[in-house]
Amino acid sequence: MTRLSSTAVAPRLSIRDRIRRGNERPVWMEKPKPTTQVVKAVALIVICFLAIYPLFAVLATSLSSQAEIAANNGLVVFPKAPTLDAYRTIFSGGVVTDALVRSLLITVIGTTLSIAVTVAMAYGLTRRDLVGGKFFLMLALFTMLFSPGIIPSFLMVKEMGLMNSYAALVLPTLMSAFNLVVVRSFFMNMPQELFEAAKIDGAGDFRILIQMVLPLSKGVIAVVGLFYGVGYWNAFFNAMLYMDSDKWPLSMILRQYVLLGQPMGDAVAEIAVPSQAIQMAVVVVSLIPVVIVFPFLQKFFTKGVLTGAIKG
Amino acid sequence: MTAVTRPTGVSRRSFLSVASLGALTLFGAGALTGCGTKTEYAASNADSALLPKYTPFKGLPSDLPGTAEGIPAGFYKYPKPFKSVEKAPLNGTIITAITNIFGPPPNARDKNTAWQAVEKRLGGKVDISAVSSDDYATKFNTMVAGGDLPDMMLNDGAAIPNIVEFLEAKCADLTPHLGGDKISDYPNLAAIPEIFWKDTVQAGKLYSLPIPRNLTGGSGFYNATFLEKVGVKNTAEIKDKDDFYNVLKELTNPSANQWALGSTKFGLTMLHHIFRTPNVWRESGGKMTRSFETEEYLAVIEYAAKLYKDGLYVPGSEGWTKSQMVNAFIGGKVAMIYDGLPAFTGPTGYARSLPGANKDYKAAPFIPFGHDGGKAQTWLDNINVATVMLKKNDDAKLKEVLGLANFLASPFGSEEYLLLNYGVEGQDYTMNADGNPIASENALLNTTVPWKYLAAPQQVVFDPTSKTTVDLLHDAYSKLIPLGVTNPCETLFSPKDATEGNKLGQPVSDAATAAIAGRGTIDQLKTAIADWKKNGGDVIRSEYEAAFAA
Repeated sequence: MTRLSSTAVAPRLSIRDRIRRGNERPVWMEKPKPTTQVVKAVALIVICFLAIYPLFAVLATSLSSQAEIAANNGLVVFPKAPTLDAYRTIFSGGVVTDALVRSLLITVIGTTLSIAVTVAMAYGLTRRDLVGGKFFLMLALFTMLFSPGIIPSFLMVKEMGLMNSYAALVLPTLMSAFNLVVVRSFFMNMPQELFEAAKIDGAGDFRILIQMVLPLSKGVIAVVGLFYGVGYWNAFFNAMLYMDSDKWPLSMILRQYVLLGQPMGDAVAEIAVPSQAIQMAVVVVSLIPVVIVFPFLQKFFTKGVLTGAIKG
Repeated sequence: MTAVTRPTGVSRRSFLSVASLGALTLFGAGALTGCGTKTEYAASNADSALLPKYTPFKGLPSDLPGTAEGIPAGFYKYPKPFKSVEKAPLNGTIITAITNIFGPPPNARDKNTAWQAVEKRLGGKVDISAVSSDDYATKFNTMVAGGDLPDMMLNDGAAIPNIVEFLEAKCADLTPHLGGDKISDYPNLAAIPEIFWKDTVQAGKLYSLPIPRNLTGGSGFYNATFLEKVGVKNTAEIKDKDDFYNVLKELTNPSANQWALGSTKFGLTMLHHIFRTPNVWRESGGKMTRSFETEEYLAVIEYAAKLYKDGLYVPGSEGWTKSQMVNAFIGGKVAMIYDGLPAFTGPTGYARSLPGANKDYKAAPFIPFGHDGGKAQTWLDNINVATVMLKKNDDAKLKEVLGLANFLASPFGSEEYLLLNYGVEGQDYTMNADGNPIASENALLNTTVPWKYLAAPQQVVFDPTSKTTVDLLHDAYSKLIPLGVTNPCETLFSPKDATEGNKLGQPVSDAATAAIAGRGTIDQLKTAIADWKKNGGDVIRSEYEAAFAA
């Protein structure tokens, strides 16, 4: 059938020829109509506006006085008399800056360790000659379905002597089974011939991992690193459970500020709500590192996602 | 404690308490029962306990007098400081504690001169684990299940549903240490009036320390400038509900973005006070009636529904966050809101934030009037913000912990109060020419160590920046407290209410909200109330009645 059909069609033309002919160009290379271009532009502008407006409003509100915030129903877009009072307040005393440094360190160290452990285990689980490999894979996958509850985790951390220690914020979440599966799938799809060739040349597993696999896996490692990094940056629950307030990360400080603006319960208020500018300023401070880092990782992120999409 | 009770509704804390009960039951029960004979849940009446003997301070002159009924004293300036604790209560001991913190955490101990100065006076260290009230139930119940109890534990009234069993299994009976004249060893604790200690009694024993508040959360606030424009100088002058309706109507002008009312959950407290709804329960001849079973409650819902229908509430304001409500009030969008009286003073309190936003605005506490021209009825719903339980310890350690509590309960006017609340003179505050402590720019994060949520004295009304604020607030307490009624079940224990009360009450709350917003009817609310009775309300009632009779 294929042969008969192929003999029936006209001789193949190059894309350039087809473009020149105009009516046979591929659809993605056609020049869009002006109306389509306008619609696309409008759609993109709306999407950008929807993404940028909340961030801009948060920034603008953080630069406003309480009076202006109240006059604008809680959200200022263009402050008439911008002030840095909110930032002066949160940076005075050093609670927010200390928490910011703690969060950065936890995120950097935690992400590094998580990537190392995930990559090492994922690589190990791709080796067909690994004794008990299937068992360990199932063990890891089991945690995706059945995670330990709060109390068993608390008991484990306590028994390991990690209470009020930064390790308590890293070790319990050191490896995510989901990320392990992503990285392992990526490794599994690498050509086996590469590994065989390297082994014939006398390379050991460690050398293969470091010198061959990792350079080919920048995309997936960036993606997984981003998952871990964002996870560590935003995590507050373990800090609430295991840490005293003098060791809280920024996410927990942010939570303390924001909770004061939440809907009232039935209780009589203990204190007056702090300025909304302060709450917004803490949000801005917590966003800055992510906003700075994301553009550098984005190209890897896109690449990693695409790779995963094609190779499954 | 008292502050967390209202006629209906489930707060996030209450929800967490229900959720945490499962955890406590599953993982904590063994630990609890392992400490002795398992106590069955039992209704309990507090009145049989031997309360501490009240011994007020002498020689502390106030500008506005307090009363034995609990109206707080008012001060325009800080009195000449005196020393209330001579000897350090700790002998190098480390005391552990878990409590609430509201707002950002304090500077760490090694950077916090105020914290260090307090511990120097204490003669030991206090390791405090503090989380927000929203996280408290989770953290506390996890610690309980992990068998990791600190020496001092806040009981916020929501985190521990099976409170009697927990107290008997894990907490020290303080009756032998504080009951009657025994409290004389701790004079600062002895200066806390009896009404605050009643909350601390369970199963006939004194099990915890009070953290006093000024008895009532009040009826809300209003923008005095707006009301003066419509001819009302004081809300107490309003004659009845019809007169109130007319005032609200005059205050509402949607085209100018102004409404009379707008509060989270409709701010019904002020209407309950106007219509004399009971404070959670009403007791008559030993029979208990839940507030929403009364005609007064239904009258409030009907009245609120009329106000809502006539456009006197900001549309959708019942779903506001607290920040939204505060902004609307400060910005002049609403003339009246419900918020607790503690939100009146302080740097971000309404007394300062309203004029700060618009120099013509003035905030004032709402003083209720009777809906029928008679007297209003307020609620004594803010007696203690919480109580503090002490872990079972040997006598020597317990005495140290009580000594610490005595230090933390140092009264207004003392050196210790200054240290605990304002920090170190010269670093965290300076005394101005009038003798008032003025906080320095960096003081806030040194002085937010949550000492006052471990033990505290009776509160006073004090604002060194404004005599008017002191006058207004003291006047409000003077008028509101005499009108106040307590919740007769406040110190009673009902196992059913503790474990299922909030869940059972939620449909009633939902039906009331729907009726006000026009999505439901009063008949549907009545049906929800009938269901409450059938599904467990009558059991709760009978348990409280039995406890009351005991």
